[in-house]
Amino acid sequence: MMSAWLGSVLSRLHGLFGQGRADRELNDEIETHVDLLAERFVSWGMSRTEAVLAARRQFGNATLLRQRHRETRTFSWPATVWQDIRFAVRVLAKRPGITAISVASLALGIGANTAIFTLAKAALFDSLSVPHPEQLRLLAYAQDGRSAIRHSWGDFYTDSQGRTIVASFSWPVYQQLLRKDHSLGELFAFVDLTQFEHLSASIDGHAEVVSAELVSGNFFQGIGVGAALGRPIVPGDDAAPSSGAVAVISDSFWARHFARSPSVIGKTIDVNLTPVTIVGIAPPGFTGASSVQRSQDLFMPLSMQPVIFPQKKGSLLTDRDTWWIQVMGRIQPNTSVEQARASLTVSLDQAIHSTMAVAKDQTIPPLLLLPGGRGWNYAAQELEHPMPVLLALAGLVLLLACVNVANVLLAQSSSRSREISVRMALGAGKLRVARQLLTECLCLSLMGGAGGLLLGFVGRDILPRLFSSSWGPVALQTRFDWRVFAFTLAISVLTGIAFGVGPSWQAAHAGVNQSLKNGSTTTSRRRKGLAGKGLIVVQVALCTLLLISAGLFVKTFAKLTQLDPGFKKTGLLLFTLEPPQQRYPSPKNIEVLHRIEERLATLPGVDSATLSQEALLAQSGSNSDFIPLGRPLDPSRQRYIAFNSVGQSFFKTMGISILNGRQFDNHDTSTSPAVAVINRALAQKEFPGMNPLGSTFRMKEGGVPIEVVGVCADSKYAWIRQEDPPAFFVLYTQQKDLSGGMTFEIRTNGNPRNFVPAIRQVVESTDKDLPLIDIRTQQEQIDAALAPERSFAAVTTGFGLLALLLASIGIYGVMAAAVSRRINEIGVRMALGARANQVLRMVLGEATVLALAGVCFGLLAAFGLTRFLASFLYGLKPTDALTFAASGILLWFVAMVASWSPARRASRIQPVQALRHE
Amino acid sequence: MSAGKSEVLQGTLDLMILKTLHALGRQHGFGIARRIEQISEQSLKLNEGTVYTSLLRLQQQGWISSEWGVSENNRKARFYSITKRGQKQLAIETANWETISGIIGRVLRLEGQR
Repeated sequence: MMSAWLGSVLSRLHGLFGQGRADRELNDEIETHVDLLAERFVSWGMSRTEAVLAARRQFGNATLLRQRHRETRTFSWPATVWQDIRFAVRVLAKRPGITAISVASLALGIGANTAIFTLAKAALFDSLSVPHPEQLRLLAYAQDGRSAIRHSWGDFYTDSQGRTIVASFSWPVYQQLLRKDHSLGELFAFVDLTQFEHLSASIDGHAEVVSAELVSGNFFQGIGVGAALGRPIVPGDDAAPSSGAVAVISDSFWARHFARSPSVIGKTIDVNLTPVTIVGIAPPGFTGASSVQRSQDLFMPLSMQPVIFPQKKGSLLTDRDTWWIQVMGRIQPNTSVEQARASLTVSLDQAIHSTMAVAKDQTIPPLLLLPGGRGWNYAAQELEHPMPVLLALAGLVLLLACVNVANVLLAQSSSRSREISVRMALGAGKLRVARQLLTECLCLSLMGGAGGLLLGFVGRDILPRLFSSSWGPVALQTRFDWRVFAFTLAISVLTGIAFGVGPSWQAAHAGVNQSLKNGSTTTSRRRKGLAGKGLIVVQVALCTLLLISAGLFVKTFAKLTQLDPGFKKTGLLLFTLEPPQQRYPSPKNIEVLHRIEERLATLPGVDSATLSQEALLAQSGSNSDFIPLGRPLDPSRQRYIAFNSVGQSFFKTMGISILNGRQFDNHDTSTSPAVAVINRALAQKEFPGMNPLGSTFRMKEGGVPIEVVGVCADSKYAWIRQEDPPAFFVLYTQQKDLSGGMTFEIRTNGNPRNFVPAIRQVVESTDKDLPLIDIRTQQEQIDAALAPERSFAAVTTGFGLLALLLASIGIYGVMAAAVSRRINEIGVRMALGARANQVLRMVLGEATVLALAGVCFGLLAAFGLTRFLASFLYGLKPTDALTFAASGILLWFVAMVASWSPARRASRIQPVQALRHE
Repeated sequence: MSAGKSEVLQGTLDLMILKTLHALGRQHGFGIARRIEQISEQSLKLNEGTVYTSLLRLQQQGWISSEWGVSENNRKARFYSITKRGQKQLAIETANWETISGIIGRVLRLEGQR
């Protein structure tokens, strides 16, 4: 019966037009019908008026009939939805105060969620800006102790099964894999050099720190990205080792250094003292393959490794043992990942056997094909853990906002219920009334959502900033895109439904008679009062939960900030120098660093200057074996002891006291016997009950003997949450070779930042191509280490304050409504002799009961839930009594403040006033 | 609403109207209501407005058509008449109804024998 259906649809489509005429015609029909009926009744002997009434009764509800007709005649929803929306907007505009409070509550709640989602999306979902990122697969393997791959460089992580996942390959193995035919297309390779060292580039005579990714010749072709200007790197560029001195620069680097001038193509810049020609500009948004969040400045061919990133043991392009590059491919149409993995496993096995010697007890680790659409994403892994907590807390804030709006709607529902009863008496259907109310709620929530989106957009850079160090680039670039919009829209709609369905349903199912018969003063007071108060309890409970989590994070942060690091952290300026190997092969680099150290110490205003291989509390450390001489070796000893290569006045500069013996002095030179200072923890561990002074140790089997000349106090080393580890310090001038950079520590007698120009001048007059890397104060270094804790404390405190604000609005609203409902009762009490104070106490007492009930529920929930925060906390239990108690008391106090004004109003009611009110 | 399955309550009024128009020819809503009243011998209490909902529905299915005319008392009125397709549909619906009422009747008798 297709045709009937089609006819019906067509007639409805037709009905969309000419609504007015159809309405008039129906009216005519109804009139005729009623008239004819009435005439009939008159002919039976009824009076005219009686007959008309009887005819109407027999005809039934004409309004409902008209509406049914309208609905049947056409697709009712576009017209009626529009009606609903117009009506909703009128209703909302008629009570601007309530609307503003609701929209503001929702905007704050939704804005919090939008902001957190933007961050979570960046950390967990954003993919590389390349065509079809979902096809990309990153080659990786699960490393274990028996693996044939012994020397892999670069980031790794531990997956959920506890396996160590590594994605580094050797150049010869990559070359072998490239020759095999398999289902990942042509494999391409890349390596992010920033994980190994800082590169310096001289642009127009000015030294800069730059980040670079080395890529294979087929990289741009494989990843599917061309150059926005000029040409990308092509296979011809990496044909022979050390050849291909060309670079593609990123869009942001182009903007930063060349003001987007097209003449930059063909320009030559010095990268680590090697002249490199710029051949192209990468498209905007392209970040390379290693990270979604952070763009590389330069892309250069991997063949440039021997000149750009030289290694003492020779070119990595012929090194069969060092695994250091990442390999990616695109899954081809009509092949499965499993097929690709199977064929690549065979190829990898052959490649390893043909390039390295595999011992009998060694195994080839199992190959994995990881989704590569998000790059070799390392920064994001760190945020994966805290994100669910932040999202959950943001969700609680939104829930609180919902409860608030539900509360506000409920508070004024008594006036609404009369209006609704009238509408239903005039013939409105139940569903229609419910839909109307729901439309109002959705209008509210969508306005709130728009506000939230605006808040999220304005604040989109605040959160990533919080998570980054103060001197470096923002660790996490967030993109404010359609997904954020979709998320906000979705939660807005859900929110509207969440707080709207209950009241709408209830309103539509309340009997017509009930509220019309009842006067405004008796409108089912008990039930409404109870619902509002129940919501208050929920609000206070949610608020308690949020305040407690904020309290826990703030206390953790405070404890960590107040920790004594064991050295004097104020007045210290830090910066890093990395003398390039090309110009300063060891030991020349030690000499140039020493020259700079001596000159810096003589600067006016500088108390002392030193340098160390590891900056303290910079979240990276060096370990070495510690082999005491003159006693048998314990084979089960801990082989890794923290150590630091430092300058002569390290202890003086850092303010670490020498407990025993001496510190380094002028007699300790590169030619004198090697000496070391150990800390107290190491002395107690290795020389219990003995005097360590004068004893000797080696840092590795066959290394030079080093004499212990002093014992210093314990101090923090790499990580602030780590206990002061056993550690020893050696002089950098006594090291055979020194790779990587050294961080200078300058103790100044003023604001450390003011010394930067003078220091820069010293360094530039020594070598103008040497850039100062990561200039920061020691305090900023510690702040950066505390970035996650600080962000958590800030975000949760923000949530907590928001929650308090929302809850106090809610409490005020409900108490005010309760008081105005009870004007009569209170007036009677006053007339019978109640004093103002008693009334005040009665209202405040009621608020106290509600607040305490909420606090109790909140505390109970917190007892159950805060254990999920345990891994983020420091120095306190997740059920910290002080935090719990303080949150409870604060909430009670806020409840008192919020209900003070309604209580005062109640206490001033005069019996006469109550009578007039009636 | 697909024509194959008939919903009892809605369908019943539709069927009665269709049959009325088939039997009496061109009628206005008031006339149809009177006829149903008469046939049911006043035992079917009907909000007469619902007749118009039914009429609109039938018209949308293309089973009846309408035109404006003048009523007995000289009023403007809309007259409905059954179409070819409506007659076909009436035959189908009548057969359906008889089957169903036959089945129900048998079931009810079964109930009585126990």
